[in-house]
Amino acid sequence: MATVLLVEDDPAARQGLELALRRLGYGVRTAETGEAALRDFRDTAADVVVLDVMLPGLDGFEVCRRLRRGSDIPVIMLTARGDDLDIVGGLEAGADDYVVKPVEPRVLDARIRAVIRRTALTGSPAETYGELMIDRGSLIVRRASRDVSLTPTELRLLLVLSGSPRQVFSREQLLGLVWEHDYLGDSRLVDACVQRLRAKIETDTSQPRYIQTVRGFGYRFGPV
Amino acid sequence: MRRRLIVAFIVIALLSAVASSWFHTLIEAYRLPGWLDEVIFGPGWLRNLVHTLPGQPAPHPIRHTALVFFGVEAGLLLAMIAALAITASRRVLLPVRRLAHAATRMSGGDLSVRIEPQRVDELAQLVTSFNGMASALEDKVGELERMAAHARQFAGDVSHELRTPLTAMTAVTDILHEHPELTGDAAAAAGLVRQEVLHLNRLVEDLIEISRFDAGTARLVTDEIDVANAVGQCLRARGWFNVGTDVAAGLTARLDRRRFDVVLANLVGNALRHGGPPVTVRVGIRPGGAGDEQLAMEVRDHGHGLPSAAIPYVFDRFYKADTARARSEGSGLGLAIAWENARLHGGHIHAANHPDGGAVFTVSLPLNAPGSVPAARA
Repeated sequence: MATVLLVEDDPAARQGLELALRRLGYGVRTAETGEAALRDFRDTAADVVVLDVMLPGLDGFEVCRRLRRGSDIPVIMLTARGDDLDIVGGLEAGADDYVVKPVEPRVLDARIRAVIRRTALTGSPAETYGELMIDRGSLIVRRASRDVSLTPTELRLLLVLSGSPRQVFSREQLLGLVWEHDYLGDSRLVDACVQRLRAKIETDTSQPRYIQTVRGFGYRFGPV
Repeated sequence: MRRRLIVAFIVIALLSAVASSWFHTLIEAYRLPGWLDEVIFGPGWLRNLVHTLPGQPAPHPIRHTALVFFGVEAGLLLAMIAALAITASRRVLLPVRRLAHAATRMSGGDLSVRIEPQRVDELAQLVTSFNGMASALEDKVGELERMAAHARQFAGDVSHELRTPLTAMTAVTDILHEHPELTGDAAAAAGLVRQEVLHLNRLVEDLIEISRFDAGTARLVTDEIDVANAVGQCLRARGWFNVGTDVAAGLTARLDRRRFDVVLANLVGNALRHGGPPVTVRVGIRPGGAGDEQLAMEVRDHGHGLPSAAIPYVFDRFYKADTARARSEGSGLGLAIAWENARLHGGHIHAANHPDGGAVFTVSLPLNAPGSVPAARA
């Protein structure tokens, strides 16, 4: 069963969430601060990080950014306010998804499973689009013969879009297909992820070739 | 003002000229004493002067010069009166007008208005009083605004603080509730705790939502929405399959999807809980107040309807129409939040009783939400 690294400074919340996650069947490692999380991260062999935004010292956004520098591990932000600042900040720092505290265990469970599922896809052999190579079997993505490091969510988004080239997907559809959120999911998740994905695979983000915006409708892969 | 005086002066001069000739014949008849005659109509030598000018046909010596003399006299007199009147008005009317002007600006909301005291007299007294009153008013209003801001901030902070202990409780309440070895009273107690924790969560959520409206930090995140689809999703997600819908097909509007859902869910939930079946949702386009078109959504039930005394207060926070029913499923803020969400869109909600029975809540929203942050980005 998957291991969760829980980073939460409030002792009661930390204990409560640990209990809930264990009961759901996850292995749990905890960290009280961002610094501790970054320090122990490698040793924990976690499959997903559940990261509180409001931490003393290094805040959640900074922890997420630093995590991202060396890893594509899925990150789910825990935010107390659910305010714009929290959400947008978290997404730009590289988080895959977010939940608002207090969170019911089944909701957190659903998000964790969805984010882990994104890394477990199998598919047809490698496809090439211009400079971009996507191997669905090994989940390797290359651009101009260099490996591109993508988070599970970015990878999943790319696979969904490129799985049906030229097909336009609305944000609503993408929220369901990639994040497995219901119809009220936050469409900013999609926009933020598209931006991060473009930064990694496009030559010129102002004129994207692979992930194209279709004004008023959504996004589509190509035509390249 | 000056122009009027000049015109009046000319008119009166002409009239007096006409009147004096008539007047003079009267005087001749009634024999005005000589000195009075000379004062009004000029000295005798002046009258005879005209008589001796060369090339002049013999005029009536009395009438013409007398007329002119009288006219000039009248004019000078009028000019003096006018000058006096203007000076008087300058001294009194202008300050009064300035005072009135300042009072108008103040009642329009500008509490910083003050008047320069110009002279030391009764008017100056009035000016000082006015300035004093304006100062006191400005201070008081400022204090009240600060208090209100503090209260809103406090409500928001409290709600936020409540989230922390609630996080731990929400995480573990299921564990207690579903523990196999808990039986009887203990099991019932655990169930109760779970139920109340979830209720608390909803309440805190709503309080924080309301505090965002109060703080002015609530934002619209808009998208082009297929209205029929949004209505359907809202009802299906909550398992409300027995609610009738009548939505014009292909109807789209630029709205905040989440807020629209909150409003509809609240109104339909209320109709189902407190109203009576059948509950229907009807959406169409209506002409708006400003000549534009609006989205009109009607949620109707066939229950007892709203008590008419309650209708003006139904959107107030924590208002309960039936005070005997102290317990409600929701937080008591549902309608208040719905109202704020409609207002944020630039629309409004109206509550009434249908003539055929039951309550009708009508939501009017502009087809394009104003000043909105579109969900689409380049």
